[in-house]
Amino acid sequence: MRILAVDDDPIILELLGEFMAQLGKHDLTKADSALAAIDLLDAPDAPEFDCFLFDIQMPGMDGIELTRHIRATAHYVDTPIVMLTAMAEKRYVDSAFAAGATDFVNKPFEVAELRSRIGTIEEMLAKRHSRTSKIFAAKTVTDHANVIELYEPISIYDVDSVIEYIAMENYVAQLSRSALFGSSTFAFTIREIEDFHATLTPFEFYSMISDVAEVISDTLAGRQFLMSYAGNGTFVCVTESGWRPNTENLKDAVNLSLSRTELYNNQSELLEPRVCVGEAVRLIWKSGSTALDALATAHASAEAACIAFEKSKYDFWNVGQTA
Amino acid sequence: MKDMVTELPGLSRVRARFIEMLGPRQEQIAMHAIAAWDGKTAAEICDNLDAAKAILHQIAGSAGSLGMAELGDMAHQCENEIIAHLKSPEAGQATCPGDVITNVDQFLENCRKLL
Repeated sequence: MRILAVDDDPIILELLGEFMAQLGKHDLTKADSALAAIDLLDAPDAPEFDCFLFDIQMPGMDGIELTRHIRATAHYVDTPIVMLTAMAEKRYVDSAFAAGATDFVNKPFEVAELRSRIGTIEEMLAKRHSRTSKIFAAKTVTDHANVIELYEPISIYDVDSVIEYIAMENYVAQLSRSALFGSSTFAFTIREIEDFHATLTPFEFYSMISDVAEVISDTLAGRQFLMSYAGNGTFVCVTESGWRPNTENLKDAVNLSLSRTELYNNQSELLEPRVCVGEAVRLIWKSGSTALDALATAHASAEAACIAFEKSKYDFWNVGQTA
Repeated sequence: MKDMVTELPGLSRVRARFIEMLGPRQEQIAMHAIAAWDGKTAAEICDNLDAAKAILHQIAGSAGSLGMAELGDMAHQCENEIIAHLKSPEAGQATCPGDVITNVDQFLENCRKLL
């Protein structure tokens, strides 16, 4: 991989140089400030980078602003960005992921941990490369119209607080590493998602998912949260500490907003997606894989709510009857 | 264990560079700590503490990876104490927090032992 590391501490840049030299298969470019990195990326002969490593606390533009800047360029809309930082406070973690960070590694580094994270990024890029030759936001879906599987997490761009699913997993893992708990996770699932997936073109499907994400994001506006599309019509959310969401009210608010949003397919036929919501799962006292299990539990709960909703449509007449 | 020394070859050179930089960094931290202690206004005190904090932050971020975990932890602790002061209502007063300066002084003493 061609990697750009940005840190104002020359010692960290040298450490990374030694680390990459030991791995022996990556090409590391160093910049000592965010502005130097931007100049480097804007240069006419700038190389194309596969991965970024950013410090957060730097004089002038910090690593979070730099992440936002990089994500605003179509070229690097989904290039992995790993924050290498000693800033473990939750507000920095939240801001970094909300800005578009893919992962978070605490300083001081451990070799094994850094190797593992870089390895994960490599695997992610290899999978992505095997699926599509190049990804440019929505254009990807247009160009590679046959690649969306129902169960596949989809990257959604330009919607506030929506991040990639792998970043969501890393975010929860980072919360568990730093023992920064108190958040809850819950999920929304689009009802009859199989039908939408079967009848819509991939681009229409992507557009609908993206529009529903925007409606959910707008509904949750004012709350601190991160959300991700996990596949199968399900959006997983992680909320701020101390907020126990009333999921029934949220479901009604999202569905009301969806009913007021005119969504059409390419044949100008009205689409009427509606969501179900599952139970909120607290992340308190969960750690490591248990914290990640909480995401899966929230996901499964929302899908179960959808199944129960569909079942209730047919079982409605049986309510109250006894054998 | 936050220690790369035994895991990466070639780190002795980086460690030597860290020690080389530690001298000037230590002097800068001391200069800002004294300026904060002698500061006549809240802004003067906070600005100097903030400048010291930025250098402590860099030391905290790398010392542990170079086999100097204790020094890194001390830098991190001093950094956190400064952050806590800067966020507190006391930051608005023209009084430099004595306990913070004492701990920074202790940190600087530990740096001297390494030089």
